[in-house]
Amino acid sequence: MPASTTVEALRAAFPDAVVRDLVQSGDQQVVYIDPSRNAEVLDWLRTDPGERFNLLVDVTAVDYGDGRPLEVVYQLWSIPHRRALRVKCELPLSRLAIASVTALWSAANWLEREVYDLFGIEFRGHPDLRRILMPENYAEGHPLRKDFPLRGRFSRAEQTRRALSQDMEQYYMPDEMEGRGAPQLVPADESATSGSGSQGR
Amino acid sequence: MGLSEQPAERLPVASSPPGGVLGAGTPTFLTTRLDFVVNWARRNSLWPMPFGTACCAIEMMAAAASNFDLARFGMERMSFSPRQADVLICAGRVPYKLAPVLRRIWDQMPQPKWAVSMGACASSGGVFDVYSMVQGIDTIIPVDVYVPGCPPRPEGLIYGLMMIQEKIREERLSEHGTLRAEDPAAVARARADAEEVLALSGPFGNSTRQNRVSGPTGSDASDRPDDRIP
Amino acid sequence: MTRRTVEIPVGRGAEMGMDARPAMGPLTPVDVAEPDIGSEQMLINIGPQHPATHGVLRLICELDGETVVSVTPHIGYLHSSFEKLGEYRTYNQIVPLTDRMDYLAPLIYNCAYAMAVEKLMGIEVTERCKVVRVICLELDRIFSHLLWLGTTAIDVGAFTPFLYAFQERERIYQLHEELTGARITTSATRVGGMMSDLPAGWAQGVRDFIDTFPRTLNEIDSLLTTNAIHQGRTIDIGAIGPEDAIDCGLTGPNLRASGVDYDVRKDRPYYDYETYDFEVPVGENGDCYDRYLVRMEEMRQSVAILHQALDRLPDGPINVEDPRVSLPSKTDCMNDMESMIHHFKLIMDGINAPAEDCYFAVEGSKGELGMYLVGDGGPKPVRWRIRPPSFVNLSAIARLAEGHLVADLIMINASLDIVLGEIDR
Repeated sequence: MPASTTVEALRAAFPDAVVRDLVQSGDQQVVYIDPSRNAEVLDWLRTDPGERFNLLVDVTAVDYGDGRPLEVVYQLWSIPHRRALRVKCELPLSRLAIASVTALWSAANWLEREVYDLFGIEFRGHPDLRRILMPENYAEGHPLRKDFPLRGRFSRAEQTRRALSQDMEQYYMPDEMEGRGAPQLVPADESATSGSGSQGR
Repeated sequence: MGLSEQPAERLPVASSPPGGVLGAGTPTFLTTRLDFVVNWARRNSLWPMPFGTACCAIEMMAAAASNFDLARFGMERMSFSPRQADVLICAGRVPYKLAPVLRRIWDQMPQPKWAVSMGACASSGGVFDVYSMVQGIDTIIPVDVYVPGCPPRPEGLIYGLMMIQEKIREERLSEHGTLRAEDPAAVARARADAEEVLALSGPFGNSTRQNRVSGPTGSDASDRPDDRIP
Repeated sequence: MTRRTVEIPVGRGAEMGMDARPAMGPLTPVDVAEPDIGSEQMLINIGPQHPATHGVLRLICELDGETVVSVTPHIGYLHSSFEKLGEYRTYNQIVPLTDRMDYLAPLIYNCAYAMAVEKLMGIEVTERCKVVRVICLELDRIFSHLLWLGTTAIDVGAFTPFLYAFQERERIYQLHEELTGARITTSATRVGGMMSDLPAGWAQGVRDFIDTFPRTLNEIDSLLTTNAIHQGRTIDIGAIGPEDAIDCGLTGPNLRASGVDYDVRKDRPYYDYETYDFEVPVGENGDCYDRYLVRMEEMRQSVAILHQALDRLPDGPINVEDPRVSLPSKTDCMNDMESMIHHFKLIMDGINAPAEDCYFAVEGSKGELGMYLVGDGGPKPVRWRIRPPSFVNLSAIARLAEGHLVADLIMINASLDIVLGEIDR
C-alpha cells in the first residue's frame, strides 16, 4: 500500500524527522518520528491546513520488554478531514524523556501524567507531572513496564501497610507544586525486599 | 454480636443478678426482653452506608430502586454520612489507594456497626489479583457478611442484609461493653496482621477461610436451628 | 463597605436605642461593614466517598466564598490495572474484563474489544453478528444514558426520574440476562462472533422494550426539560466552546453539545452504520443543559436505530467460519480427532493474533471508546490499551467549573457522565 498523502507531506516538511512509516491492520497509518522533535512535528500536523489533526485522541506507551525501546504513541484524528494517524516515538530505556505536548492540546495533560505514572516516561515541560492513578507514596516503580510483576514488587502485607500509611489529608494545588522541582523517578532497582517503608507518611 | 459460647437465651430466666438489670453476668428476664425490643428496633431500621465503588454499586442502586425496594427492610434511608450509619456495604473493588478511606469511614461509624462485603472483589479481590488491589477488605476492616457474586444480584444483597438482621437478633446488651468495645489503637490500622494478610492473599486464601457468617459461630443449619426471622 | 441585607433583631425596650427611634424592619437593607475575613481561600475536599461524585472521585476545590476558584481532581481510587492484567490473559479471556470496566454499558465494551481484535486479525464477522452487535451497542447506549439521567436528576434534586429510569433499566437488565445470563457483567462477545446466538424471543423482547420505552422517556422529558428548577441549574452552567472542547479532547455527547458534529458512527462508520437512518444531535452552547438535551435525543435516535436493526436482522450463522478463531461444532469434536485437538488448542492456548498493532474506536455512550491492541504473534497481547472517554472528558472539569458555584460543580460533574471504573481502569 502506498504511503498516504499525510506521510508524503510530512516527509516533505520534515525530511530528517520521519524515521519510518508503515501501515498496520489493513489501513492504519503509522509514522515513527524522531523523539527529539515530537512537539514540532505534532504541532505541524495539528495546524497545517492540509492535515488539521486537531483532536488528540490518545497518548500512551508500549513496552515490548527484553530491553527494547519504549514507544510513545499518539493517536490523532482530523475532524475536518476525517483522517486518523498514529505517531510513534521510540525512546531507549536509558533516556526515557520526551517533550510534552500539553501546550498543543490540553487533553495531553492527564494522558501524559498517566504514561508517566505507569511507564516512568518523563514529559519535559509538563505543568504538573506527578502520579495520577497510583498513590503518591507508591514506591514500587511503574506498573505497566514489562519488568514489573503482576502482583507488585512488595509483599501483600507490606502493600497493605503502606496503603494505610497514606496521608489522606494531603492535597495538591498546582501552585504548590512549583516549589517541588522536578518529579522524582523511582529508582528501578528498588527491590522487593525493601521493608523499610520510610516513605509512608 | 451473638458470638458468645452459650446458646442465646430467649426464654425468661428467673434469677436476679447482683449487678442490676443491665449488669454483666447471666441474663435476666428484663435484659432478654430488653434485648429483644432493642434488637427488633435495630434490625428493622438499619441505615446502610453505601461504600459503592464499581459494578456492585450499580446493583446496590438497583436494590434500592423500586423493583427490589430495600425500604421493605427498613433500609431505604441510605446514610451518606458514616456518622449516622449502621451497616457499611462495601460494594465493589477496593484498591490500595482507597483502603485508608475505607478504614477511616469504618472508624467514623459509631457502634454498633456491621459490615457487608458485597461481591467477589470486595470479599477476596476477585479476578483482580494484581498490584493495585486489596485482596479482600477483611484485611482492612472486620466483615460480618460476605455476599458472593460478580456482581451479586440485588436479591443476594438483600439476603446478605437479612443475615445481618439475624446477627442483630442474637446480640445482647449485657455484652455490649465487651463485644462492641473500640480499641483506639486500632484506628487507621489494618484489621489483619502481616501474617494473616499473606495467608489471605495466597491462592484461594480467602475462600478457604470464610464461613457463611464470619465469626466463630457455626453457620450450618444444625448449628443455628432457629435462624429465621419470625 | 458593601451593601447587603442583614437581619437585625427587632428592638424592644432599651434596645431601641437612646433616642427611642422605632426599630428597623428585619429585612431593611443597611450599610454594615464587611468583616475583614482576609483574602484567604477555602479548600474543601469532595470525595472520594461522596454521594455526588458518581463513584470514587475526589475533587479538591479552592473556594472564594461559594465560588470555585480552582478544582483539582484526584483519580485512581479505583485503579484495577486492567491493562496489566490483559497482558497476562489470552484474547478471549480479556472479554470478561471489559465489562467490569464500564459497568454502565457493558455490551458496548464487549463489542468494542471484540471488534478491535477482529480488526487486528483481519476477521470480517457475519452479517447477522453485525446487526446483533449494533442492537447490543444501541441497547446499552440507552442503558448507560438512563443511569446518567437518573443520577443527574438526583444531583439537581429530582428523585422521581431516578425511579422511572431504573424501572426502564430493569427491563434492559432482563434483556441482558436473557441474552447472556448476567445482569451487568455480560461478557457477551467472543472474537469472531458472540457467546451464543440470540435466545428465542429475545428480538421480540427488545421490540417490546423500544415500543414502550419512548413513553417513559417522554414522561421524564416532561418532568425535566421545561422544569424551571432544572433549567436554572443547568443553563449556562459549565459551558465550553467548540474550540476549547476539541482542545480538551472531549468526545461523545460532551463534544457534540458544544456544537462539534463528530460521531464515530458517522465519521468512521463500522457495522454499516452509514446505512442506518439516524441523526446526530448537536448542541449550541456546550452547557449542562445542552449536554442533557443531546443525551435525551441520543436515546430517541438509539430507539430508531434499534427499530431498523431489528427489521433487518438476517438469518444465518452468528460466528465466523475461520479456523483461527471459531470453535468446531460439538458433533465434530465428538467424532473427529482433528476437531477435538483444534478445539483443545483454541481453548487452552488461545487464538494467535499477528504482530501488529491496531487502534479501533466505537462511539461509546460516553464518547470515543478506543481499544489499542499490540500483538506479538502469540495468544496474549503485548499491550492492551483502552482509550477511556470519561478519563479525557473528566480532565476538562477544572476548566468547566472555574467561576461557578460549588453546587454547580456537582451538576457539571454529573453532566460529563463519567464512570470511574473506566477512568481508573
